[in-house]
Amino acid sequence: MASQKMKNQIYVGSRLFDAALIVFMAVLGLIFVYPFLNVIAVSLSSNQMISTGQVTWFPKEFNTLGYGLLFAEANIWGAYYNTIVIAIGATAFSLTLTSLLAYVLMLRDFVLRKPLTIYLLITMFFSGGTVPTYLLIMDLGLINSWWSLILPNAVSAYSVFVYRAFYRGISYEIREAARIDGAGEFRILLSVYVPLSKALYATFGLFSLVGVWNSFYDALLYIRDQGRQPIQMVLRKIVFTSGTSTMTEITDMLNNGLLNAKNVQYACILATIGPILLVYPFLQKYFAQGMQLGAVKG
Amino acid sequence: MRKLWQQKTLILMAIPGIVLVFIFKYIPIYGILIAFKDYKAARGVWGSEWADPFLENFIRFFKNVNSMQVLWNTLRVGVATLVWTFPMPMIFAILLNELKGIWYKRTIQTVSYVPHFISVVVIVSMLNGFGSVNGMFNDVREWFGLARIDMNNGDKYFLLQYVGSAVWQGVGWGSILYLSALSNVDTFLYDVANIDGANRWQKIKNIAWPAILPTTSVLLILNAGSILNTDFTKILLMQNDSNRSQLEVLSTFVYYQGIVRGNFEYATAVNLFVSVVGFLMVYGTNMAVRKINPENNLW
Repeated sequence: MASQKMKNQIYVGSRLFDAALIVFMAVLGLIFVYPFLNVIAVSLSSNQMISTGQVTWFPKEFNTLGYGLLFAEANIWGAYYNTIVIAIGATAFSLTLTSLLAYVLMLRDFVLRKPLTIYLLITMFFSGGTVPTYLLIMDLGLINSWWSLILPNAVSAYSVFVYRAFYRGISYEIREAARIDGAGEFRILLSVYVPLSKALYATFGLFSLVGVWNSFYDALLYIRDQGRQPIQMVLRKIVFTSGTSTMTEITDMLNNGLLNAKNVQYACILATIGPILLVYPFLQKYFAQGMQLGAVKG
Repeated sequence: MRKLWQQKTLILMAIPGIVLVFIFKYIPIYGILIAFKDYKAARGVWGSEWADPFLENFIRFFKNVNSMQVLWNTLRVGVATLVWTFPMPMIFAILLNELKGIWYKRTIQTVSYVPHFISVVVIVSMLNGFGSVNGMFNDVREWFGLARIDMNNGDKYFLLQYVGSAVWQGVGWGSILYLSALSNVDTFLYDVANIDGANRWQKIKNIAWPAILPTTSVLLILNAGSILNTDFTKILLMQNDSNRSQLEVLSTFVYYQGIVRGNFEYATAVNLFVSVVGFLMVYGTNMAVRKINPENNLW
């Protein structure tokens, strides 16, 4: 047992620690948020203010030219459309095919359960890598086709195993009951397992959508047709390959000092992350849940 | 055989997935064979001649003067990334766990996950903008009385930007696993520690730390394998004419040789080498963990 005096010392020390921690966490919180605020502020400021490095938290000399020109000249709407179609297609394929395979592999009396599990397990330890996959996509004639972004990642061993573990958590008796009522296997999956796995589909669906939204590498390799490229490739073009040089109006205004290159670049960054930042507050519960779902069950 | 026929519905359900895995996972694994071949596209993987000498593509890599530079760059980036991104989420989780006030804690947590959902193109675009002369990083430098400079020119600030942004993106998200380990700690332990007059540091050391140790070692083993797997798309985007030679790592090397230049067999050989080393690293770390702490190894 500690003496009273010592306990008091510990109490004071502990309160000081709490206070310091609150301040420290507030600073960290700002570090997480400030870069986004700075991007918003700069995208909406005048060339004069940006080039002298005076913009910090809020826009100075408000100016929306960057957004106007970006949406007028860079085919952002087209890129949004492409990305959304790819994301929905990839997610639908992935959820459907993974569910089918995971359901079958969950059944204890399925004859091919062991060999198929090993068949999938092998792909977790060995992979062909960039070049052999690239050659395959070329041989299949999928260059410039959105299928090259949808099919290769539709089924992964990892997600099949997580789905299977999730299905196993659902009581086997429900399945037997449905069978006695005369439901076929497909029917049981669709009307018993799928409705009972809403958390699973919410997180995997969300991760797939965000993953496709954020991916650019597959498109860099396989999609050469400018009009078919997703949003990340448009951002890459605007920021890194001086893609604005083909956009005459932007180039003119840059030369006349009416516009700062950052106006367009930061506007494009925001156009790219905007949709994600908008849905994040409503769905953040599912995001955090997803990490644990994979960790515990996988 | 009769059972197979009885279960034909089930087999039918599994077929689309099996076929996709075969095409997009197994065929590329078979394609690795070209690492040992003199690949001719017209003759295919099997029809191409075996390389002469057999390991020609590997020998070519180790004889190349630049290869050592590339290997060194990769190790430098990989080790720096591991050293900084590995402990940060752990420390963040412990501190967050000590934080009083549920609402405040939740807010910080929620905010800390946001950077994780930002794509690599966006991150590098932001770094590119912030590092320029009138960008945010230079606002900070000026605030500390330093001159404004172009941080994207040359490779001097590459590692700082690369690792710093990786920590920024990963610290909140990486803390989730540690936080769930910490939430499983029996509060009774804290009550006992209070009666015994333990201070905060002693409680962290003797209660929180042992609770996250198993998670820590599993993650360390998994991370060790990725030392040579640098975030390749990020480096690819960060490269410019002024820094390309210093920034070349194994995976960007594979990209340039294979996809850009079309040296398919050479690139595949280098990639195979990276995979084998990665596997050995995981195996080695697992052995080391087993020696030090027998309960926490992976297999």
